Amino acid sequence: MKVQIPEEKAPFPFSMIEGMMPLYPWIAIMGWGFVLVSLLIGIFSLSPAVSTFFSDSKAVREAAEAGSAFVNANVTAHVLESWVPQFKFVGLGLGLLAITMALGTIAKRLRGMGWVITGHIREDLRPKMPSIPRRVRYFQFSALMGVMILVAALIVGIVLGVTVVPDYWSHSIATELNPAQPGSALLQQLETVSSFAKWLNPLRLTGMAFLFTGITIALTVIIGALKGQADLLIGFFNRATAN
Amino acid sequence: MENLQGPSKSWQLTVYPIFTVLGWILIGVALLIGLFVLTPTAIDYFGGNAKAVRDSAEAGSAVISQLSTLASTQRWLEPLAFLGVASFMLGIALEFSAIPNILKNRGQVMSICFPQIVQNYAE
Repeated sequence: MKVQIPEEKAPFPFSMIEGMMPLYPWIAIMGWGFVLVSLLIGIFSLSPAVSTFFSDSKAVREAAEAGSAFVNANVTAHVLESWVPQFKFVGLGLGLLAITMALGTIAKRLRGMGWVITGHIREDLRPKMPSIPRRVRYFQFSALMGVMILVAALIVGIVLGVTVVPDYWSHSIATELNPAQPGSALLQQLETVSSFAKWLNPLRLTGMAFLFTGITIALTVIIGALKGQADLLIGFFNRATAN
Repeated sequence: MENLQGPSKSWQLTVYPIFTVLGWILIGVALLIGLFVLTPTAIDYFGGNAKAVRDSAEAGSAVISQLSTLASTQRWLEPLAFLGVASFMLGIALEFSAIPNILKNRGQVMSICFPQIVQNYAE
């Protein structure tokens, strides 16, 4: 006898998330790829830029004029440092998202297994399948929230990397940046350039915290499903042996 | 008749929420300090003073105090935030460690129930 597993469609946007859950190996590979790209950018772009900048004495590199190789290398290094760390964290976040999705898939399969087992039991003794726990929506929401925060941090990094950061660093350090006075456009840019990492780095970790919370809740769903199945079987056993 | 019981209560499932909450507290504290202490201090220090003023600041001045805050806070704040990450991971590991016992019990329950399922098989 083949048991028909009922289709339990989640409301939007959770239906979309559940539809994507089996794609977790690809999400994990994508996350790994993001981190690999960060490594390659570090090796082939950031590291050479920093090497170029530090290839001469402090006096020479700071006196270099806008448009010179030193200033351009400094701009490249600072621009990359504004968005590559956020990009790397999106990669890590995708890895954690893949784990959450894999756990969600396991929980879904466990539920399917529950339907199959109960479907094979005579109707008068058949245990009633419990409804999908609300925690499923919480872990999906938490994981989604985590990835959205990491993507938002990346967007902030990219916006800074194409606006304030290159605008500020594409000046001569000795003749333009160092003499800048309070209230000048350059010092206002320096405010942003020197302060964004102070809140963006912990924000990234907040995104990671949401992803870890998603994994934690997904595990409680799996543990709950396993315990629930044991309880259903025990209930069935007691009814069956009481007759 | 066999005595059927659910899995015994494991200490890991009692303890893991503490580490999850601790993770949120530590990362939350790091975010709040970053937002409300380090960011305004960095804005004041770099935006409010010319480089010459920053470089020539005397001991005990507000500028030196801001520099000290910026340089020293980061040294413990980042490890604090990562302790939060480690707390989450510990919580997750504890949850995982409870699963084998639950699976073992689930297998035992199933093996005892199986003859009854076969006996009461749905046609």
